This record gives sequence, C-alpha cells and structure tokens, in this order.
Amino acid sequence: MFKSKKLFTFMFLLILSVFALAACGGSDEDSGDDASSSEGKSTLETLKANDKIVWGVKNDTKLFGLKNPSNGEIEGFDVDMAKAITEIILGDASKVEFKEVTSKTRIPMLNNGEIDAIIATMTITEERKQEVDFSDVYFEAGQSLLVEKGSDIQSIDDITADTKVIAVKGSTSAINIREKAPDAQVLEFENYAEAFTALKAGQGDTLTTDNAILYGMASEDSNFELVGDIFTDEPYGIAMKKGSDDFVQAVNDALAELKENGKYDEIYSKWLNF
Amino acid sequence: MDFIGAYSPDNLMFLVDGFWITLKVAAISIVLSFIIGGILGILRYADIPVVSKIVAGMIEVIRNLPLLLIIFFVYFALPEIGIKFSIEASAIIALTVFESAMLAEIIRSGLNSVPKGQIEAGRSSGLSYIQTLWHIVLPQGIKKMVPPIVSQFISLLKDTSLATVIALPDLMHNAQVLNAQSINYIVPIFILVALMYFVVNYILSIVTRRLELKAS
Repeated sequence: MFKSKKLFTFMFLLILSVFALAACGGSDEDSGDDASSSEGKSTLETLKANDKIVWGVKNDTKLFGLKNPSNGEIEGFDVDMAKAITEIILGDASKVEFKEVTSKTRIPMLNNGEIDAIIATMTITEERKQEVDFSDVYFEAGQSLLVEKGSDIQSIDDITADTKVIAVKGSTSAINIREKAPDAQVLEFENYAEAFTALKAGQGDTLTTDNAILYGMASEDSNFELVGDIFTDEPYGIAMKKGSDDFVQAVNDALAELKENGKYDEIYSKWLNF
Repeated sequence: MDFIGAYSPDNLMFLVDGFWITLKVAAISIVLSFIIGGILGILRYADIPVVSKIVAGMIEVIRNLPLLLIIFFVYFALPEIGIKFSIEASAIIALTVFESAMLAEIIRSGLNSVPKGQIEAGRSSGLSYIQTLWHIVLPQGIKKMVPPIVSQFISLLKDTSLATVIALPDLMHNAQVLNAQSINYIVPIFILVALMYFVVNYILSIVTRRLELKAS
C-alpha cells in the first residue's frame, strides 16, 4: 500500500509538470510577433524600430472592418484609415498587421501589447479615456435616419405625429428618438434585421439607429438612403496605450494631413457614400 | 433569405475553415482532458492523504466556475502576470482545465459504482492496490463511465463556440462574419452551422452506442 501511494504522489507531480510544460510551450508561440514596447524607448520610437504597426480591427462589422471570405482580407473604412495612417508614419502602407478584436477584447489586447492601436468603431467616452489615450475624432458616428429614396422625411424635423419610426428594442436609439421627436410613433423590433425588413415592407416611414449601421443597410439595398444630420454624438477615435503621447501626436498629425490632402474624403466616399 | 448567395463556394470554404478550427480545438482538448481528468479522477478516488484532498479541492473550484469565466481568465488575466498564450492555445487550455474537472468526477463516480468488496477481494488475493485498480475496478467502472464521458465530449465540442468571445476563428465565429455581409444570410448560414454541429455530435453518439453494446 505504501509503495503505491508513493507512485500516486509521483503521478500527481507528473500532472503538475505537464501543466507547467504546457504553459511554457504556449507562451513561446506568441512571443515572436509581439508588439510590446521595450524599456526606455517611446512608443513611436519602438514602432519605428519594429518597422510595423499592429492594428486591432473588427472582423464582423460591415463597411468598417469585415473579413472577406473569398480572400481572407479584412476590408473597410477602419482598415483603409489604418493603412493610410501607417503610410504617413512609417512611409509604407504595407507595414501594417491586422489582428481581430471585439468590443470585449480590444482594451486588454492593447494593454498587454498584442496590438499597438485600436481602430475598431470605438466611441470616445470619458470612461474609456481613463484606460486608453484617444486620437482626434476620425468618424462622426451618431444616430441618424434611414428612409426610402424620395421620402418626405429629409431630417428629424420632418417627423410628425403621423410618422411611424422603426427602432430596435432596448437600444438607446429608441430612447433618443422619443426625446428628440416626442410626437413620433415608435415601433420597436427585436433586432436590426427585423427592423430593416419592416422598413422595406412599409410598416414604418423611417428607421433610426447609429449611422454606421444604417450605412450598412443602405449598402445592401440601394433604394434606401440616409437623410439629415446625426442628432446624437458618438465620435469614433483611434485608441492607443496610455502614456504614448508621441504616437497619439503622430496619429493626429496623420489624420490632419489625410483630411487636408483629400485622402480622407476618398476613403470616406469609398465606403460610406450612398 | 438568400440561400444561393449565402452558400457561395467562398462562404462554404470559409465555414469549413472555421469548422476545422472547431474540430482541432475540440480534439486536442478531448485528448488532453481525458488523460488529465482520468488521472485526477483516480487520484481523488484513491483517497491518498493530502494529494486526494488537494485534487478534490481543485476539481470542486473549477467545476463550479462557468467555462466562459475560465476562458476570460486564461486570455485576459494570465497575461497580467506575464503568462501569454495565443488565442487558440488559450481556448484549448481553458477547455482542458474545465473539462478535466468534469471528466474527473465522471470517472470517480464510475469507480465508486464498483462495490468495495471487489477491492477487498482483489487485495486479499494478493494483488497490489494499483493492480486491483487496473484489473478489477477500472474494467467494471468503465462500462458505467462511457455514456456520460461521451456526453461530456459532445458538450465540449459545442462549448468551443464560447471561445468566439476571444475571437477564436471557429465555426460560430466565421458564421457571424458571414452574417455581417448581409441580413439575408443569417437564416441560411445558421441552418448550415446547426447541421454541421449536429452531424459530428450525432456520429459521436452512434459510436458510443456501439461501444455500449460491445461492453454489455
């Protein structure tokens, strides 16, 4: 009995060592393409030394960052902006690497050095400013209206007591529209797909939610268009690790240059003009 | 609904790519958790001072945590203390840790179902403790373990979809990317994805039924 117990203890230690080995093996895999900044250098200097910027982008957001199943490339406004900014900072648009982020993973991935910057439909908020540094606004997101082409509704001021507005249940857009246009009848649907189907079926006169999502719907059906200005404010920014002031400055300079030389408008109309 | 557009060759290949990742992650986790879970289950069953208590404590803690939390922990919390894994490795580690605990309990209960008299008989006929476990207890216990172990493997395969939260490019993740292309793809894509999961899991169930028939 005593002998076999010793054997069990040995096996137990064996399992522990397997765990430990697994831990070592796994961490090796990732250390090669790390984007972590080395000591003593500023973020920008590190990026220039790496000769590459690793961007965190969405893979499942139409028009901003969407993976194309036929060639595996990620395509969209965010992706093209990232390339254009990299071209200005490092002199070559091909010195980019894209990693997929989601709303949940993007800040932890930035903080543990897997990515250098986030350009992933990320709204600048006071809360997030505590955790990351933001660039200037690169896209003015906000709530807008989608209507069938030729509709009487051309802005939020045209909404009357007779107007049926379609919104998505539980979203802030339903609350916002009741605030901005108290007369309107609001029809709430379960999700965006149902809401858009309802609009197509003529169950309502206009659909309201974030303009980024509305642009996606308009791109699917050219009979629909966005009208009026945005009536809520959700500016998208590029997020960088806290304390990387020179990188933020470089990105802001790049944004200003892109807006000045027309490249920004070019990218904008490529993706978001309908 | 646009079945023709949704089932374009590119989209189907993209789903197959995701399915491959799902199967790969599930297969590696199944093998690892079967080995680790088996050893942990026997260690807890064997009632060795200290070791069995530690193992029991570990199993209880892990078994009572949601898998999603373990995935988050491996991917987000461990890097804070300098241990960093790729997305795929994180998913495999989280699944293995969680499923090992579940399997350990299944294996222990299978062993427990063997009457204590069998051990006493084995020991008094001159077999060592380990020989008794290996030749007397395990063969009898295994019959009771097979169905719940396979159920656990099936739920492991389905649980891989939880790793979409850390952007593992598995079947579920790729389905979501395709769904973002057009709202008309959502239903056709989900029907196909459901079918893919079902076929693999159903094959697993059939294999088990064969094994059960063989064992009885």
